[in-house]
Amino acid sequence: MGGLEKKKYQRGSATNYITRNKARKKLQLSLPDFRRLCILKGIYPHEPRHKKKVNKGSTAARTFYLLKDIKFLLHEPIVNKFREYKIFVRKLRKAYGKSEWGTAERLKDNKPTYKLDHIVKERYPTFVDALRDLDDALSMCFLFSTFPRTGKCHVQTIQLCRRLAVEFLNYVIASRSLRKVFLSIKGIYYQAEVLGQPITWITPYTFAHDHPTDVDYRVMATFTEFYTTLLGFVNFRLYHSLNLHYPPKIDGQAEVEVKPAEGKEYAMDSESYLEKLSALSASLARVVAPTQEDDVEMDEFPVEGETAEQMDARRKEQEALEKHKKLFEGLRFFLNREVPREPLAFVIRCFGGQVSWDKSLCIGATYDVSDPSITHQIVDRPRVEQQVVGRYYLQPQWVFDSVNAKLCLPVADYFPGVLLPPHLSPFVTEQEGDYIPPEKLKLLAMQRGEDPGEETEEEEEEEEEEEEDDNDKDEEEEEEDESEKEEEIKLKKMEEQKAQSNKALPVKVTAGKVRLEDKQRLEQEQQSEEKRLAIMMMKKREKYLYKKIMFGKKRKIREANKLAAKRKAHDTALKEEKKKTKKARRA
Amino acid sequence: MAAVAESLSFLGLTPSARDPATAVRRRNRGPRNRKKGWKRWAGPEARLGREIGDFLEDVTLQQRVAGGLIAEQPDAGLFFVDTGNAEKGRKRKNKIREKPLHIDLVLQPDSKVPPPKDILSYQIPNGKKERRRRQFWERLAQRGVLPRAERRLQTRLQNAAGRVDPGRSFYDIWADDNPLERALVGQDSWFLQQTQKQRVKRPPRLQQKPSQLPAVEVIAPGGSYNPTFEDHQALLLKAHEVEVMKKRAEDKVERQLRFPTAAEAPTAETVFREQCEGLLEESEGEEEEEEEQKEEAVGGAQPSDPPRPPLRPGKKTEQQRRKEKEARAQELRRRQEKAWRCRQQQLFRLRSLGRQLRRWEQELLRRRRAREAKRREMEGRPRRLGRIKYEDPALEVQLSDELAESLRTLKPEGSVLHDRFKSLQKRSLIEPRERAKFKRKYRLKYVEKRAFREVTL
Repeated sequence: MGGLEKKKYQRGSATNYITRNKARKKLQLSLPDFRRLCILKGIYPHEPRHKKKVNKGSTAARTFYLLKDIKFLLHEPIVNKFREYKIFVRKLRKAYGKSEWGTAERLKDNKPTYKLDHIVKERYPTFVDALRDLDDALSMCFLFSTFPRTGKCHVQTIQLCRRLAVEFLNYVIASRSLRKVFLSIKGIYYQAEVLGQPITWITPYTFAHDHPTDVDYRVMATFTEFYTTLLGFVNFRLYHSLNLHYPPKIDGQAEVEVKPAEGKEYAMDSESYLEKLSALSASLARVVAPTQEDDVEMDEFPVEGETAEQMDARRKEQEALEKHKKLFEGLRFFLNREVPREPLAFVIRCFGGQVSWDKSLCIGATYDVSDPSITHQIVDRPRVEQQVVGRYYLQPQWVFDSVNAKLCLPVADYFPGVLLPPHLSPFVTEQEGDYIPPEKLKLLAMQRGEDPGEETEEEEEEEEEEEEDDNDKDEEEEEEDESEKEEEIKLKKMEEQKAQSNKALPVKVTAGKVRLEDKQRLEQEQQSEEKRLAIMMMKKREKYLYKKIMFGKKRKIREANKLAAKRKAHDTALKEEKKKTKKARRA
Repeated sequence: MAAVAESLSFLGLTPSARDPATAVRRRNRGPRNRKKGWKRWAGPEARLGREIGDFLEDVTLQQRVAGGLIAEQPDAGLFFVDTGNAEKGRKRKNKIREKPLHIDLVLQPDSKVPPPKDILSYQIPNGKKERRRRQFWERLAQRGVLPRAERRLQTRLQNAAGRVDPGRSFYDIWADDNPLERALVGQDSWFLQQTQKQRVKRPPRLQQKPSQLPAVEVIAPGGSYNPTFEDHQALLLKAHEVEVMKKRAEDKVERQLRFPTAAEAPTAETVFREQCEGLLEESEGEEEEEEEQKEEAVGGAQPSDPPRPPLRPGKKTEQQRRKEKEARAQELRRRQEKAWRCRQQQLFRLRSLGRQLRRWEQELLRRRRAREAKRREMEGRPRRLGRIKYEDPALEVQLSDELAESLRTLKPEGSVLHDRFKSLQKRSLIEPRERAKFKRKYRLKYVEKRAFREVTL
């Protein structure tokens, strides 16, 4: 009754959101500047729940921002810098138009710049926050550092990205925090564990660029600009956490070795430092030299609410981790010139191995091919001429597979010219009941310390073994399937026996037989009985759910079986083909 | 003379005989009694005469110049070695140049008053002062004091850690005494706030990311450069499904836009029927309607009630009022009683009411859960942030025959740059958009160049 008529779109969600264009006008910025500001400040567009209300009755799809976010942006000092830059560009253009070169020079000297430090601090109030967001930063920096210097983006940006990426790699080497590597068709995925945070990043293969046209380079460059700032600060902090110099310094002794004239012909003085660093072969200098006393084991205090078993498991895990970190300790690698140098050098150094390459390939080679102490030479050619006795000639996949398997794999599968075993993704964790390929099964067995059959050169035997493995697995799965049925049958039999015994009351006394009690069996029976009873006692709804779950499990197993059968068929087909080719060759 | 003899030899012996070359030529007509007529006259005799004349002229010229026919002269008489005296020629030319031009003479100043001396060419203005100042600054520079402009330049060069400067220095931004906040430490927060020295606090809402998806999504195991058979097949199947969906959409459009086959194509009959569509039926309907109307008219006319007089709002009597009032009261009472009875009854319905309530609550709970599930499902998806919807990038996959034998022969598939860009879009950090199209403000004007136009092939 009475009162003023309420107008539409003057309260509620219509006033909480603002369209992009309005926001842009409010900030007095051009669209590219507005976009850049939003990316730098980490303010992203929103999708309102009720678009029609927000859009004042129209249903056209538009970009909305929260009004409060835009109001927050109004306080940003960088906005003023953007405006200054706009004016600078205008003045410069005018000066050029009037051919006033002096003025243009003066203006260029006074080019307005801005710093993003305060935004980094604001967006990542703690160091751990920054680490959690490092995936993006690293991927972007590694990507930009591989760009050609052709003017798609600033050369300085590329150089800065390269520097930061190399610094991070050196940190990972120094801290031995790499965990997983995966060579995919797209690029190389790495995972490192930095201060307890898993950090995943992707690097492209070198020289793999065709510049896609449907990518907005300006947006990407803005992201990179922010991420380089972030990565710089993160690197600084990480280096200091390990007592390393920042900017990184190559260890003194190594530097003297690297110093000779070899470096001069490779790069200019200004560049050779970064090049040496990016060779990844030299270790970094520490602020305080590490002493043996530092390595004293820490006393372990039990965490509250932790049982002895958990502690044991934890300790075991830690031991495994320590062992993993020292995977290549004591091994000396030599990289042939046809293998990708940087990823291999990085991975090998991350696990304590020593690595070198041809002197003409890259700066920072520490020893020669002819060095007799080389244990592994990484080769990617069908066959090697002039083999040196006393070292393994291996394909590069061995290094990556060994890292993922957390143990030095048997070398026989990786000799040059040999058909390689598949490169499995370390990022996949199989659930119970999932199909596990035979290669992975073999690997898991090896990790447990078992020897999955002797490694014999003859193919047929190997194949047979594989087949056996497959059969075993199939049986196991079938057992799982049928165990319940079997138990039921047994129970029925027992019941029948009991009933019979009850019916015909035994009057005669016969000589008793000693029945061997299989305790395990009894226990199992009891367990299954209990389970059955529990199922019987279930409520209808729970039983329904239980049945559903069991059905899902069975379906999974069935699918796994199907895959296994498929694999078997594939393997047999391959085998037959091989046999045929062999026969053809013999004939 | 030989030429003359030759030309004569072709002449026929008889006067009627003519030169065969001129035989066909039409005779020039025209009066020859005047000189004008003679010139046009170009008979064989005239030509002969002209040739003889030319010859004689040439001979006399040779005799005049060379003292006899040139063909008979020896080479030494005709040519000589030119050792020419160069100085002689130049001297002559110089003589001409030495004489000044008249115009220069005219422009010579002829005033007797000497021009004033240009002092500035002899001395520097404020030279002494400048020198003193220079010496002053030199002395200061020795002590390490620089002028203001120089100082500013130096500071600018030092602080030139621009945004793209590779040599910028980083520091520990998360330490307690970082340079960012060093100036603000220990000051009154009210003062900082009022003087706008303290930055506005970032709202905690902004710490949440729009999507929970991981920044780097690892490719499926089938994307390994050397995958297992099953993984590779699984990835291929996924890619295949995508392709099938695409094909289906394409086919649909194709089917809808297809030119009809001969069986489906419209014939003359169908075209005619289509054109008549609605016309015939409408007319039938109209006829029926008309009939109905007629019937109605016939039927309606018979009863023909007299129009009822409208109710007059007359004044009610006292009795009427009382009765109405009583009726109202009774109605109210009746309703109250009914409500009371209902309430009484509801006491006995407590159980069923409770049941109803519970059922309603369960329904609400179910609805809430469904809503939440839907919201959760929607959260995983990229948001709709603009005119264009996010579309998943094409799956990177290598066919069985494309797989590399070794790392050396690996051909990378897809682009990491594209992958990163799409990932940003998928996580709703940037809105998907089209590349801005170049739009010309004015239409181009095409002109065919003349040189080009003249070329005809």
